[in-house]
Amino acid sequence: MRFRARGDVVPVLLILLALIAAPFFLSIYGLIVLTEILTMSLFALSFNLLFGYTGLLSFGQAGFFGAGAYFAVLTLIHGPGSLWAALAAAVIGSAVLAAVIGWLCVRLDEIYFAILTLGFGMMLFTIAHNWRSVTGGSDGLGNFTLPGLNLFGHDISLFHPVSFYFLVLLIAALGALLLWRVVGSPFGLLLRGTRENSLRVSFVGANVRAVRLFAFILAGALAGLAGALFAFFNRIASPEMLHWSFSGKAVLMTILGGSGVFLGPAAGAAIFFVLEHVITAYTTNWMIFLGAILVVLVLAFPGGVLGSLLDRLTRGRKGPPA
Amino acid sequence: MEGLLANVLNGLSWGMLLFLISMGLTTIFGVMGVLNFAHGSLFMLGAYLSMQFVRWVGSFWIGLLLGPPIVAGLSILLERFLLRPLYGRDVSFQLLLTFGVMLFLDDGVRLIWGAAYHVVDPPPLLSGVIPFFSQSYPVYRLFLVVLGPLVGIALWAFFAFTRWGKILRAAAMDRQMAEIVGVRVPAMFTAVFGFGAWLAALGGALAAPHQSVGPAMGERIIIESFIVVVIGGMGSFPGAFVGALILGMLNSFGTTLLPDVQMALPYILLAVILLTRPRGLFGAEA
Amino acid sequence: MKKMGFAFLLAIGFGLVIAGSGIAADKPVKIGFAYIMSGPFATYGQFAKQGAELAIDEINQAGGINGRKVEALFEDDAGKPDVGIRVIRKLVYENGVDIVMGIDSSGVASAVAPVMKELKTPLIITHAAVPDVTGTSCNRYTFRISLNINQNIAMASTIAADMKAKTWTTAGPDYSFGHQSWEYFQKYLSKKKPDAVFLPAADVAFSPSATTDFSAYVTKIMNSKADGVLVSLWGGNLIDFVRQAADMGFFDGKREILMTLGAATEVLYALQEKMPEGIWVGTRYWFQANDTPINKAFVDAYFKRFKVYPSYNAHGAYGAVKTYAAAAAKAKTVDKEKIVDALEGLSIELPVGKITIRPEDHQAVTDGVWGKTAVDAQMPIRILKPIRAFAGKDITPPVEETGCKLK
Repeated sequence: MRFRARGDVVPVLLILLALIAAPFFLSIYGLIVLTEILTMSLFALSFNLLFGYTGLLSFGQAGFFGAGAYFAVLTLIHGPGSLWAALAAAVIGSAVLAAVIGWLCVRLDEIYFAILTLGFGMMLFTIAHNWRSVTGGSDGLGNFTLPGLNLFGHDISLFHPVSFYFLVLLIAALGALLLWRVVGSPFGLLLRGTRENSLRVSFVGANVRAVRLFAFILAGALAGLAGALFAFFNRIASPEMLHWSFSGKAVLMTILGGSGVFLGPAAGAAIFFVLEHVITAYTTNWMIFLGAILVVLVLAFPGGVLGSLLDRLTRGRKGPPA
Repeated sequence: MEGLLANVLNGLSWGMLLFLISMGLTTIFGVMGVLNFAHGSLFMLGAYLSMQFVRWVGSFWIGLLLGPPIVAGLSILLERFLLRPLYGRDVSFQLLLTFGVMLFLDDGVRLIWGAAYHVVDPPPLLSGVIPFFSQSYPVYRLFLVVLGPLVGIALWAFFAFTRWGKILRAAAMDRQMAEIVGVRVPAMFTAVFGFGAWLAALGGALAAPHQSVGPAMGERIIIESFIVVVIGGMGSFPGAFVGALILGMLNSFGTTLLPDVQMALPYILLAVILLTRPRGLFGAEA
Repeated sequence: MKKMGFAFLLAIGFGLVIAGSGIAADKPVKIGFAYIMSGPFATYGQFAKQGAELAIDEINQAGGINGRKVEALFEDDAGKPDVGIRVIRKLVYENGVDIVMGIDSSGVASAVAPVMKELKTPLIITHAAVPDVTGTSCNRYTFRISLNINQNIAMASTIAADMKAKTWTTAGPDYSFGHQSWEYFQKYLSKKKPDAVFLPAADVAFSPSATTDFSAYVTKIMNSKADGVLVSLWGGNLIDFVRQAADMGFFDGKREILMTLGAATEVLYALQEKMPEGIWVGTRYWFQANDTPINKAFVDAYFKRFKVYPSYNAHGAYGAVKTYAAAAAKAKTVDKEKIVDALEGLSIELPVGKITIRPEDHQAVTDGVWGKTAVDAQMPIRILKPIRAFAGKDITPPVEETGCKLK
C-alpha cells in the first residue's frame, strides 16, 4: 500500500536515528515515557496487522499481550533467569495460544469476530486473575529480578532507564521490521485481499482461514513480545494487562495514528502518551478529551492523524485528481 | 432449600437489570445493525441522574420518571449528529465511535460527580425486608425481580400488537423493503436509538439503590449485556430474557458452587454459543 | 512527506523534552503522595490528602523542614500495581520528590517496594498491610508506620479466642490482602484455641474488588455451617457488603463477626446508622482511643478544618509527614540516604501513641485498638465502646519471624 520500496526508507532511517540519539537530549523521565511509547507501538502495530491489513477488529489482543508478560515473568522466576529465554517464552507461548484461539476465531467475521476475541481475551484475563498459586492473582507477579545483559563481555544492568530503553528500541525496531517485510510480501497482498473481498481470494485458490490464522498467530506472538517488555518495564505482570479495556488502548492508538499507514499505530501511541502528558498537567480527566478526539477522528479523519497528514501531502504533490 | 431459593432470587435481581439494558442493546442492534459500546455508559448515566434527583427533590420516583427521558434525549442527539454519518461505512467504525462516546461519558461523570462511589437508598415504599424462612430478604430486590418480566411483557406486546411495533419489526427484518413501502427509516433509527437509551437509563435508575453508583458501573454491565445479547441472539427479545436469566444464575450459583471459575463462566458460554450457533439461541440462522 | 515525517517526530520529541524538564527549583522540600483517589476506595485518598495537608500546614507555619517550605504532590495510584509504579516513577523522576508516602492497596505496596531500590528514594507506607514489604521482600528504602496484617490479625485472633464461635469463615477481597488475613487468622487462632474449625477454601467468600453486588457472597456465608466470620473487606466493598448483608439478616446475632478494618471513619460516615451495633471492628488508629494532648490537638484541628473526625488513613498520612520531619531534623538534611539512616530506629510521639521504627525490618512497632460498635447520641457516626487496646510490643512478631534480612 503506502510503503513503496525506496521512497520511505529515508524518513524511517531518520526516525530511527532520532530514537537512537534520544537518550542524549531527553530527561530520564522523558526517556521512560518514550520507552513506554515504543512498547505500546509494537503492541499497536501487531494489532494493526489484523485490523488495518486483514480487516479483523480484535478486542482481545491484550490477552496475548498479557499472556506474553506472564510467560516471560514466570520464566524469570521459575526457569532460567535469562532475558532471552524469557522473551522467547513470551513469543512462543503467546504464539501457541494465538494458534489455538485464532483457529476458532477466524471462522467469524466483523462484529462476531470482535466479540469472540473479546470473550477469549477475557477468559485469559480470568485465568490470570483467579489462578493465584501461579499468577499471583489480582496482585500480579512482581518482585522478580530483571537479569543483566551480557554484550561483548560487558555486563549491562537493565535497571538503568537508558540501557533498558535501548533494549526496547532494538526489539521494537526488529518487530516492526518483521511486520513491514510481511505486509510488503506477496502474503501481505493476500492479507489485504481477504480484507477487501474474501470471496475473491478464495476463488483464486487461497485458503482465507489459513491466511487469517497466520496473521492472527503473528500478531499474537508480537503482542506477547510487547507484553513481556511491558512487564519488564513495569517490573510486574498484572491481570489488567489482559483486560479488554487494555485491548481498547491498542485500538485507540491505531485509530489515532491511522490504520492505513504502516507506522500509523506507532504514531498513535506517541500521540496518545504525549497528549496524556500534556492534558494531565491540567486535569486528571483526560479520558474525556481522548473520547472526544476519537469521535472526531472517526467522523472526520478516518485515516487517523498520520494517515490524513500523509494523504494531504501526497495529494498536494500530485495535484487534484483529474 | 433456603440457600437455593436465596441464590435464585439473587440471580434473578441481577438478571432483570441485565435484561432491561440488554433489551435496548438488542433492539438497537436488531433494527439498526449497530453494536453500541456506549450503552453501559447510558445505564451509568441513568443511575447518576437518579442519584441526583434523589438529592434534589428527595424522591426516587421522580428520578425514575425524569432521568431516563433526559438520557434518551441526549442519545437522540448522539444518533442524529454522530452516528448517522457513519451508516454505510464499515461496522467497525460504529463500534469505535461508540467506544469513544463511552470514554467521554465515563470520564464526564467523574468530572461532574467525582471519582468516589455514591450510595442511594431505596424509596421508603420498597426499603424494608420481608421474612424469608429463617432469614430475611430485601423488598427492593423482589421489586426488581417482579418488574423485569413486566417491562419485558409490555415491550413484547408493543412489538406484537401495535402498528409502530410492527413497522419496527419489519424494518429490522428488511430495511430496504421497509423504505420502499414508505417507512421513514432515518427517523425510525433515531427513535429506536432513543428508546434503547431510555431502557438502559431506566435500568441504571433502578440499579442505583441496588448497588453503589460509580464511574465504573457501565464498564462491567456492557460486557455482560453483550454476552446476553449474543447468547440470546442479536435482535431477539425472548433471547435477551433467557440470556439475562442464564447470566444472573451463573453469577449467583457460580459464586457459591464454583468460586474459582465463576468469573470465566460467562465468557466460556459466549465462546461456545458463538462457535456453535453464531446467531444465538433465539436468532434466525443465516 | 519525508520532511513531514521528521517534523512530526521532532514535535513529539519536543513534547517529551518539555514533559521531562519539570525538575527545577530546589527551594521547597517535596513530598510525593500516592493514594487511591478514584473508584470504590476513593474516600481513603480524600482523607489521607486532608491529613497530609494538615501536617504540612502545621510544619510550614512552624518554619518548615530545616527551614525549607514543604510542598505536597498527590497522585492517584488507582489501587493498581502498574499505575502505582508509574506514578511513583513520575513523582521521583519528573517532580523530583525527596520522599514518597502513602499506598493503600497491598498489591500496589508489594509491586512498588522493590522499585524503590532502583529509585533510591525512601517510601513510608501508611496504610497497606501486606507483611512482605517489611518481611521477605524488605529493602533499605521501604518503611511502614502503620499496622500490618500480622499485627492486626494478632489482635483479631485474641478477641476471637474469647468468643463462643467454633467454626470460622471469611468474607474478604480476592487478592493477597484478603487471603493473607485469612491465613494468619487461622494460624494465630488455632494456637490460642486449638479446637477452632475453619471452612475449606471452596466454602469461604472471596470477592473481586470490582464487586458491587454482594448478595451471592452473603447467601453463601449465611448458608454455611460457620458461626464466626472474619470480614477483611474494606472501603467501598465493606460499605456495600454491610448494607446488603444487613438487609439479608446477616447481623441477626446468630454469628460472631469481626471486621478487621470496620472502624475506618470513611466507612462509618458512609454507613452511619446502617452500621450494626455490637460488632467487633479493627482499625489502625481510633480518634477516641487515647487523650494525650497531641491526639487531642490533632483531632480538634482536623475536625475544625474538615468538619469530620480523622480516619486512620488521615492519621497515617499526617503521621508520615511528622515522622519525616523528625527524621529530617535528626539528619539535619533531606538527603535521601541520610533520611533512610535517620528513619531507622526513630521513635516519635504521634496521635496514635509512641511509635518506633525497627531498624531491622523498617516496620513500626505501634499500639493497636479494636472496639465494639456502639451508638452515641452526640456523634454522627458509630463509635467504639468498649475499646480494647493492645501494646505494640505484644502484637508485633519478632524480627526473626518476618523473614527480613536487612541487618
